[in-house]
Amino acid sequence: MSATLEFVRASRWYGQVIALNDVTTTIGPGVTGLLGPNGAGKSTFLKLASGQLAPSQGEVKMLGRAAWGSPELFHRVGVCPEADAFWEQLTGLEFVTGLLRLTGYDEAERRQRAENALHEVALLDAKDRKIGGYSKGMRQRVKMAQALAHDPEVLLLDEPVSGMDPVNRRRMVDLVRRLGRAGRTVVVSSHILHEVEAMTRRVLLIHNGRILAEGDVREIRDLMDEHPHTVALRARDPRALARVVVAMPHVISLTFGAEGEWVTVQTARPDELYGNLAEAAESAGVSEMYSPDENLESVFRYLVAG
Amino acid sequence: MAARDTSKPVPFASAARGVFDLALEGMVWSGRTVVMAGLLALPVVLAIVYRLVLAKYPAARLSPLDLYGRLVVFFYLRFALPLTALFYATALIADEVEGKTLTYLLTRPIRRESILAGKFAAYVVTTLTLALPAVVVTFFTLMTVSGRANLGGAVPDLLRDLGVAALALLAYGALFTLLGVFLKRPVIPGLLFIFVWELFLPSFPGYVPRVTLTAYLRSLVRHRPAQEGVSEIFAQVLPTALCLEVLVGAVVVGLGASAWIFSTREYVMDQ
Repeated sequence: MSATLEFVRASRWYGQVIALNDVTTTIGPGVTGLLGPNGAGKSTFLKLASGQLAPSQGEVKMLGRAAWGSPELFHRVGVCPEADAFWEQLTGLEFVTGLLRLTGYDEAERRQRAENALHEVALLDAKDRKIGGYSKGMRQRVKMAQALAHDPEVLLLDEPVSGMDPVNRRRMVDLVRRLGRAGRTVVVSSHILHEVEAMTRRVLLIHNGRILAEGDVREIRDLMDEHPHTVALRARDPRALARVVVAMPHVISLTFGAEGEWVTVQTARPDELYGNLAEAAESAGVSEMYSPDENLESVFRYLVAG
Repeated sequence: MAARDTSKPVPFASAARGVFDLALEGMVWSGRTVVMAGLLALPVVLAIVYRLVLAKYPAARLSPLDLYGRLVVFFYLRFALPLTALFYATALIADEVEGKTLTYLLTRPIRRESILAGKFAAYVVTTLTLALPAVVVTFFTLMTVSGRANLGGAVPDLLRDLGVAALALLAYGALFTLLGVFLKRPVIPGLLFIFVWELFLPSFPGYVPRVTLTAYLRSLVRHRPAQEGVSEIFAQVLPTALCLEVLVGAVVVGLGASAWIFSTREYVMDQ
């Protein structure tokens, strides 16, 4: 894999706080998920990659050049920041064309490119409305449009689908996957595992400023499946459900919820639990089921403790 | 379509112009502009009141020219223009940092100096647009109290005042831009500069007044009022060439230092 983005023993601290600690990694074409809980160092990673911050120690290279102090790189790099921040008085079209102007395009080309990018994120109909009047999802999409409009080789996307409705989330995921398939280098940060999983199988796990693991997202899933897993079940007859569940050898604990309908089960083998539940679910009238462990934070707690 | 050279940043002038266009509308249509326009228009209100009062009491002691001179020296040069410069220029970068929009500018293939140049140009256009018409309206409101007979002779003074006002906005603007890129909270130091340094040092004897911008700006005003208080500086009117050199020098040094600091500092830590 040829390296588009390279971190070599890169650290970044803010005063006494270490935001990124001795990170060495390379990222090449395709989609790479940057996965970690809030405060893990994902945004610092992306700001170092986009040359908005300088490493306190080590090196960060983008397309073979030092990311810090190389503004010419942004002909080839697009950045979608996390912050919900805009010049609110501008329309969507003015926002994208204004930024394209700073990328060196002439008037005709910037209008054409801006409209293409707004079309890509399904905002063409709202292009003449002021951003101040956009919904959260529209604001997220116009931010994406400005990152895409100059057709960059590298895209750094900080929580790009946050706040989007399911339809546009799906559209955005498809767009990211398409860009990856087209040979673009796309780095997407998120703190939600299934969000990243929908876009790519290649992930960097980041926690407390360190790269905890990198590789296939299925390996992360495997790690998840081995750690004590919590499942919450809502049943018409929770006592009947509890009788069945507690007899399973892999079940570690079982608690009844305060409202009486919910049973929370902790198991060492979630796959077996799900397999064994089918029969019990029918007899006890299970109507809802979810796993609070889908939250990445618990995975990281488990991995770090392990 | 013209081919872009992607191995270099966008040319400085083109980038600065782009930033100027993005910045101007936001700067003009802001709450800050409403407040500053009100402040800069106060002499207009005063001039209208003077006209109305003078019409009733023709024996008023203060001549229109005298009042105009006092407004230029005491109100505009000493107070309103430095304050206008403070509130706009310190915010040039701070507004983008606080609003978290600086990222959009920093992730474009442009030199950081061009961001500052574009923003400063927008500041100059905005503040000149607010200040100069107010001076002109004040002048004509006062100078036509007794008809237009003596107006022609005073117009060169007006033009000179407009030039001095523009220089004041440039010099204070450059200085406060420097404060804005250097300090996280520049307003209090800026206020101290205006209301302590610039207000009291001109009253000191000898060469001390020369470390203020006020000394040079007021030396450039031709129609100084008859009474300007205890200020020693009025005894020593500095040569015009020296004043221009110092004020232009302040602009160049202020902007140069601001550009250097802005191009080497990180500004997105909290975003």
